[in-house]
Amino acid sequence: MQATQPAFFKQGPKPLTRLLIFSTLSVALMVGDVHYQVLGRVREQVSFVLYPLQWLATAPFAALHEARDFFTRQAVLIAEHRKLNDQILVARAKAMRVDALTAENEQLRGLALSQSQRAQSSRLTEILYSGRDPFSAKLIVDLGENGGITPGKIVVDTEGVVGQVVRVQPMTSEVRLITDRNHAVPVMVQRSRLRTVVYGMGAGQPLEVRYLPPNADIKEGDLLVTSGLDGLYAPGLPVATITRIERPSGSPFPRIQSRPVAGIDSHRFLLILDNPPAPPPYPAASGPAAAKGA
Amino acid sequence: MPVSSHLPRPVRPSLIFLTLIGALLLNLLPWQLIGSHFAPDFVALMLLYWTLNQPRRVGVGWAFVFGLAMDVADGNMLGQHTLAYSVIVYLVLSRSRQINIFPFWQQALAMLGLLLLAQVIMAVLRLTTGADMVGISYFVGPFLSAFLWVPISNLLLVHQRKNVPDSL
Repeated sequence: MQATQPAFFKQGPKPLTRLLIFSTLSVALMVGDVHYQVLGRVREQVSFVLYPLQWLATAPFAALHEARDFFTRQAVLIAEHRKLNDQILVARAKAMRVDALTAENEQLRGLALSQSQRAQSSRLTEILYSGRDPFSAKLIVDLGENGGITPGKIVVDTEGVVGQVVRVQPMTSEVRLITDRNHAVPVMVQRSRLRTVVYGMGAGQPLEVRYLPPNADIKEGDLLVTSGLDGLYAPGLPVATITRIERPSGSPFPRIQSRPVAGIDSHRFLLILDNPPAPPPYPAASGPAAAKGA
Repeated sequence: MPVSSHLPRPVRPSLIFLTLIGALLLNLLPWQLIGSHFAPDFVALMLLYWTLNQPRRVGVGWAFVFGLAMDVADGNMLGQHTLAYSVIVYLVLSRSRQINIFPFWQQALAMLGLLLLAQVIMAVLRLTTGADMVGISYFVGPFLSAFLWVPISNLLLVHQRKNVPDSL
């Protein structure tokens, strides 16, 4: 009889049963994660447990960086100091002009009774490590929920847009880079004010502008800046420069490639911008679509 | 382990747990600095080792728990590592008595197959959820892991060997 089995032989369910249980659970996790986004709590709890390990794994490398910074030679520092001083002078001269222009702009906007654009506040964050997942382009940074970060905030470096915060954990958050496959940024060609959308093509690949008519006013070397039309990206942040335009004979659309302006793979520190002020609500449209939506 | 005249000392559960945590720590090192994704998967390797040698202690449940930790640490789809680890650990579990009597280098070949299977499972899962193919370098990690099998097995067996004179 089963009941008289000695305790030594009792091993719980058979391995195959266990495999079935756990693989079912895995599939449930996948479906829950991909289709319903209901597993935020689970992720949060596990990441809280993992944080000390992550810290421990990256601490030696961070210390190495610190040590290298510490031993940077004095001559280098003096030269850099001098250069930076010069740059400040130039920048200050520019800033004076900008101040004047800003004041004038505000006055004009006030005259036009439109909303003024305030400068956004931002937070400095350090990259903990780039995502290990080779299927997507992501970064993990050291500010999380406890630093007031929420999903959807924009991440920039000194040159331009780097990405967007997609997942926030208590101590860390994940940044999806603009090079990630099918990541879309609404942009505008700075020279011609042409509005379009630029798509990521995967880590290490150039960005692509899709579905522009062949006669669109766009040239190699043009700068793409955010248009701010989605209410997520503040307007005017540099995103990419056009590097190559091909017009394949078989396709109605030109192939337009561009290179991110920001040093996507080369920094340790990034800025997380606060959300821009919410745009005015979408105007109530008339017609069948609006009636269905309401 | 291969047939030998030694009677191994029992393994403490704390050692199993510590080596698995250590493997997780090794996996979390910033490997991206040296190459795209050639990093050997130490967690999979240790899970396979302990399943092979302590099938009553480590099994599919542990594979699931450490798979979940890897999923969260990598920031990818939940369930990807858990499924892959559960399957390979089950395969070892069902054949552990046969694999156990092979010499280490043959065990390493078996592990290479299993680790490659794990990568294939994860790649297929990602492809079905809309990611694009990452290229052949994704499958280099298992070869490095398989090379590590022999030294790691020897290292962990040192702990288990008793100092018994050969005359016994």
